[in-house]
Amino acid sequence: MKDELVAEIAELQCVHRGLTAIPRAENATILSGPLPFEASADDHSTITECFEIELTIPDNYPENLPYVRETGGKIDSDYDHLNGDGTLCLGIPIEKHRIFWQQPSLLGFVNRLLIPYFFGYCHYKKYGTHPFGEAEHGAVGIVQHYMDTLELNDERTALAVIAFLIEHGYRGHHPCPCGSGKKVRKCHGQALRDLQELHTARTLQNDFVAGLDVCIAMIKSENLQIPEPLDRQIRRILNKMIKR
Amino acid sequence: MVEKNRYSRFLEKVVEAIDIPPSKYRDAVDRYQAVGNYLEDGEYPGCAGELSIYPQGSFRLGTVVRPIRDGIEASYDIDLVCELPIEKYWTNPQSVKLMVGDRLKEHGTYRKLLDEEGKRCWTLEYAEQDEIGFHLDVLPSVPDPLPPSDTAIAITNKQGNVYTWSASDPKGYGLWFDRQNQAAFEFVRTDQKRAILAQSSHIYASIDDVPDALVRTPLQRSIQLMKRHRDIMFDNEQNNKYAPISIIITTLAAQFYQNESDIYSALYNIVTQLHAHAVLVENGTVDRSLAPHSPIKRSPDGGWYIGNPVNPKENFADRWHEDNHARARAFFRWVAALKETLFDILEEPRLNVLRERLSATLGAAVVSKHFDLIASGVAAESSVPRIHISKSTPTRPWRA
Repeated sequence: MKDELVAEIAELQCVHRGLTAIPRAENATILSGPLPFEASADDHSTITECFEIELTIPDNYPENLPYVRETGGKIDSDYDHLNGDGTLCLGIPIEKHRIFWQQPSLLGFVNRLLIPYFFGYCHYKKYGTHPFGEAEHGAVGIVQHYMDTLELNDERTALAVIAFLIEHGYRGHHPCPCGSGKKVRKCHGQALRDLQELHTARTLQNDFVAGLDVCIAMIKSENLQIPEPLDRQIRRILNKMIKR
Repeated sequence: MVEKNRYSRFLEKVVEAIDIPPSKYRDAVDRYQAVGNYLEDGEYPGCAGELSIYPQGSFRLGTVVRPIRDGIEASYDIDLVCELPIEKYWTNPQSVKLMVGDRLKEHGTYRKLLDEEGKRCWTLEYAEQDEIGFHLDVLPSVPDPLPPSDTAIAITNKQGNVYTWSASDPKGYGLWFDRQNQAAFEFVRTDQKRAILAQSSHIYASIDDVPDALVRTPLQRSIQLMKRHRDIMFDNEQNNKYAPISIIITTLAAQFYQNESDIYSALYNIVTQLHAHAVLVENGTVDRSLAPHSPIKRSPDGGWYIGNPVNPKENFADRWHEDNHARARAFFRWVAALKETLFDILEEPRLNVLRERLSATLGAAVVSKHFDLIASGVAAESSVPRIHISKSTPTRPWRA
């Protein structure tokens, strides 16, 4: 195990003492045990709870983030925010990365992503609503996230932004992919720069596929037009992806 | 009550965030070596031998912090001594200053980066767009050995159109500082280099590639933290011309440091000893049980003395008596604030109050990033970890 990971686990265990390492799985390190917490949030009442968890840390962490299963049976199996494989769906991937990098360690992961998720679940069971909102499932949620955070007009523009990031990364002097006609640095510069820093080639590609997914469905149902340059750009990216 | 070890780790993280990152450090070294090489290739009338170019100040001492100006994190300052091999009595300060300036102006890029002539130096402004850059201050000088130091130099001063010499010994001071720091440095070197390598494997291939200059002892960390505290405290004030100067902070801290192995203990010791000297403002006597030696002294005529450890004739506090001891008062006001805002505050039981107060002292961004280290510790005493979900964190649940 890398020294750094050992140190991160030790830091995590200082705070969340119930978590212990269990025999190693292939390509991952697993911590398991009870996770008691008392969580508060602005404008919401405090919740004290304890969940049994299994936290799996992939070997390429922190490039890939850990994933978590709730093993004590406290979360309803038909809860809307569980992945097909039973892992907890903590949030839209890029949003998850953004929050993780605010405090990039296992302790940060548990305190900033996992406990807020449990907090949200308890709140939902008690009051019927999610305290911080919930994202649409699948590709629609991903695309919506780009539209909300970057204040984009439509799905097509979200796809254009993702395609721009894949092809150029951050380019201050290029025209902004949001279509405002301004240069990137005078428009979505900071947002694109932040996204570029958070994304890996893989997460970016996943979001691109999500964007494409949403737009193709729209093309089928309501005759969405993809302008010529964007169309060519999409083809270039797809060609490269296929060659790889 | 915050536990000492946790608080020490928190302070460690806070200082790491205001230190120069390895990639930026490498950029800075590349740039100043390029400037050095270029200056070395120049022709300087009267020069016999090789130029000597070396960093001084916080960059040399490993006590760099990202400066704050008007509440905003600004460019790093890097001081570079350019020592021309000319006998001091065969030249004059004006021609030394101008020879270096002229050489810089001959270079297409440096000419564009060059600021107006400074009092002692030529400043190259590497202000990268959007990113935090640095200024490189090039200090023209000539050797001026002052027994027992053979490293002393004379630097130039410009006031109006008049140039004069003043004495300096950055190399000697650097070696003195290294000696104060030596034992702690040996102790932390290997572990820290391993940690730096783990985080910067794209910059360094092996542990031997990690430069000594990136290792930080608890002494260096304490100095960095004190400088940041000063920057924030005086940045908000009208009268920031009285703010304690870095050379005084560094000299006193290095004299009080007792090889403590963590930043909390080191800083606590330094601040306690400094605080014991506050009585000097009212001509009192320092309590020897708190501070066995006094590098800060009053003179019979009411003046102040903090000697340069490598040249006792140089008094770093030579202006402390001016304006009714304004600099001395500001210094001890700052020391009292250090004690109060970094140590007394630990008695605060309300987490939100503790957080707010630490944010005001050290900067909100860095405190919010690492507050968990303390907060979870306080909560641990009541058995269950206590987490506050801030507005910027909660993500919305989703499903693939």
